[in-house]
Amino acid sequence: MKCRTLVAVALGSVCGFALWASIYSPQVSAQTNESPKPVYNPYPKGILPPDLNSEIARVLREVDLVESRAITRWHNLKPPILTGQPPVLKNTGTEATETLGELMMFDKHISPDKNQACASCHMPYAGFSGPIPSVNLTMIAYPGTVHFRAGKRTAQRHTYSPFFPVLQYNQEDNLFFGGNFWDSRSTGYLLRSPDAQQAQGPPVDTQEMGFPDTACVAFRLAHAVYRPLFEEIWGKGSLDINFPSETEQICATPGGAAVFKGNTTPVPLSPSDRTLANTAYDHWGQSIASYQQSVQVSAFSSKFDAFLVGKYTMTADELAGFKLFNGKGNCNSCHVDGRGTNLTQGQIDTSNTAQVNPLFTCFGSANEGVPLNPRDAFYYQDKPDPYGFTPNPYGFGYVDLGLGGFLRSGFGSAPNPNASWRKLAPTVDGQMQVATARNAALAPTQCSTTEAPGPYFQKEFFHNGYMKSLKQLVHFYNTRDKYAYPVLSGHCPAGTTEKVDCWPVPEVPNNVDMTTGNLGLTDEEENQIVKFLETLSDGFTRPYRNRDTFTGACMKGGSAATQGNEFLIPTPPLPPCASAICGVAPVPNPPIRPPLSE
Amino acid sequence: MNRVILLLAISVLSGSLLAQESPRTKKAPHVRIIQGPKIELARQNLTIIRWTTNNPGGDPVHYGIVHYGTSPGKLLETAQSPIRLDPDHASAVFRVRLDNLKTRTTYYYRVDSIEASGERDGLTSGLSHFSTP
Ligand code: HEC
Ligand code: HEC
Repeated sequence: MKCRTLVAVALGSVCGFALWASIYSPQVSAQTNESPKPVYNPYPKGILPPDLNSEIARVLREVDLVESRAITRWHNLKPPILTGQPPVLKNTGTEATETLGELMMFDKHISPDKNQACASCHMPYAGFSGPIPSVNLTMIAYPGTVHFRAGKRTAQRHTYSPFFPVLQYNQEDNLFFGGNFWDSRSTGYLLRSPDAQQAQGPPVDTQEMGFPDTACVAFRLAHAVYRPLFEEIWGKGSLDINFPSETEQICATPGGAAVFKGNTTPVPLSPSDRTLANTAYDHWGQSIASYQQSVQVSAFSSKFDAFLVGKYTMTADELAGFKLFNGKGNCNSCHVDGRGTNLTQGQIDTSNTAQVNPLFTCFGSANEGVPLNPRDAFYYQDKPDPYGFTPNPYGFGYVDLGLGGFLRSGFGSAPNPNASWRKLAPTVDGQMQVATARNAALAPTQCSTTEAPGPYFQKEFFHNGYMKSLKQLVHFYNTRDKYAYPVLSGHCPAGTTEKVDCWPVPEVPNNVDMTTGNLGLTDEEENQIVKFLETLSDGFTRPYRNRDTFTGACMKGGSAATQGNEFLIPTPPLPPCASAICGVAPVPNPPIRPPLSE
Repeated sequence: MNRVILLLAISVLSGSLLAQESPRTKKAPHVRIIQGPKIELARQNLTIIRWTTNNPGGDPVHYGIVHYGTSPGKLLETAQSPIRLDPDHASAVFRVRLDNLKTRTTYYYRVDSIEASGERDGLTSGLSHFSTP
């Protein structure tokens, strides 16, 4: 295995050069700076990045900084006036609610160990996706409150996610659209906002913030410094819940722990207190959704937005990329921008389908045929942790069926609230949500690109982080089928280079979308599409709030085409798909994972 | 208790959403093949058959279908792959993956296409053949 040392530019307070430690150097040490907690480490050597502890600590410092800025803003905010019938929080009601949502998202107390906020996995300078370059490069999933349980997919950018409609099956078009999460499992069926429902997931996700009971959120909110703001918006008394004395201890114990014996409401509350706690949890979700939809997060402040109103002239490359995006690249079929394809330089779009604020998604889903990423930390968590919880008992027998997994209420997803959809599962196996192309390229101020040679900020793309640069992502759309080899990642034949002229087989071979895969784009045309994607990053017409908070190291050197290739590892021989996943009716058709002979 | 009703942007926007799901276009009266079908790729594990039609319109997702078999009179196997139409494009490229074919074998095939609803676009395609490596 190649083991290259990357030179990184250390920025933030310190200037100069620092060394990016090789991933194959010492294993992450077990200690944390607080009380010694038992550490869960089922990972073979080299899966966890060596700087994991220090990087988690760095992000927590940044999270605290943003929280303190939000507290200042709250204190300077003129209180809204409750008036009218029905009553409305007049004047500053919107800003107060958005600020409350921000205070919640950057509050690390919303986790048993008080060591993880939403923003631990979603920082502004990464377009609200994963903030740790070494995690993006290696284990791809983010560690949760319990070190080191980790999830299974990349921390999705959540800019513009409040604009996704409630998940529905469109009878006219015969397809699903809407929902949040890669597999759309946050449907929004009750709150009528997938994004608000989404915010109710992480606090009780065993591999994320990890509370054992949703009431723990109300419990911590009752002790939060911003409790007065919560009560101002959602009503006096909304947090007056009689929590029994053992609540502190229950809420300090992570979900999934054997002591709970599968009980999801271990905090003993009277029915009326339980209702109060549930209502507070809805308000938690709604407040966060209002922040995520605010102009601070979903800003519509990109070059492209300026271009649409004639306030930015695209460069020749950007414009060429825009045309390719809509034309030869076919991207516009899914990342809908509602625009015609015949623009010339400086011309303003007048096509009749044009929309004011295109979101670059159709809210639908597709299986892009992304290869299995053997670095995904999820595959290795097949042993019980110190609390007796096993995140993934199936190891590499786990297959990510995406939307199909959700429709079956499958392992690793969530219960499907609409039984009539279940029969459609085989038609959507492997499908992931069409992410908005906006802010895919957003990076911190100091290293404002995602592309080597940089100085760049290492992101990860697609649901399993297999792509490490946008160049690779576009090259994949362009050549997935042209360079298709019957191999798994890490096993490309001699004489080929993975991600350059060798693409491994799709993880889920069913329903692979064929709109792209052999587009016939030249190298230069690929680069132009990347340039166009970069015009979709917020922060051009006005600064993007808190984009300046990154204090980690930028990276430098190499080429975008092979960015991160030194961290490829050979996929082990794969067991058949676990019957708890592929044996759930209606089963995938054709069956998935008759193992490849290597 | 006096219930505070907030005019949150979320409720407003998820109610009257900027309609942005895949735009639907009118169904074309006749769908015909402009180019192909031809073999785009023939490898041991994967064959791709490709053809181009005028934009069929209708459901945003269409499936290209290949009926195939080793004898010209018996096209008993079927493979299908989805594509998404671009409403602004005059034509649509259909591409279908065939996995797990036998090596060094001649296959006969005909192509077809359907909307996501299952309704046929009404293609007529002749019989073609190819051999795997
Ligand atoms: C441990 C890391 C982690 C934490 C903590 C976390 N997230 Fe996420 N987030 C993820 C991952 C991973 C996904 C994608 C999960 C999936 O699709 O299965 C995601 C997806 C999302 C999405 C979906 C975006 C879309 O367009 O569908 C939103 C919104 C979001 N997170 C917001 C939040 C909020 C709000 C919190 C706190 C309540 C939070 N996240 C806490 C990792 C995290
Ligand atoms: C058939 C629909 C479809 C087409 C066509 C398509 N995409 Fe995508 N796009 C998706 C889906 C689905 C995802 C999420 C895939 C996943 O994670 O497995 C995605 C994700 C992305 C992302 C975000 C990745 C991330 O991690 O956030 C970008 C950027 C992107 N596509 C750009 C493009 C470009 C450029 C093109 C044209 C060359 C294109 N797409 C064509 C469906 C499509």
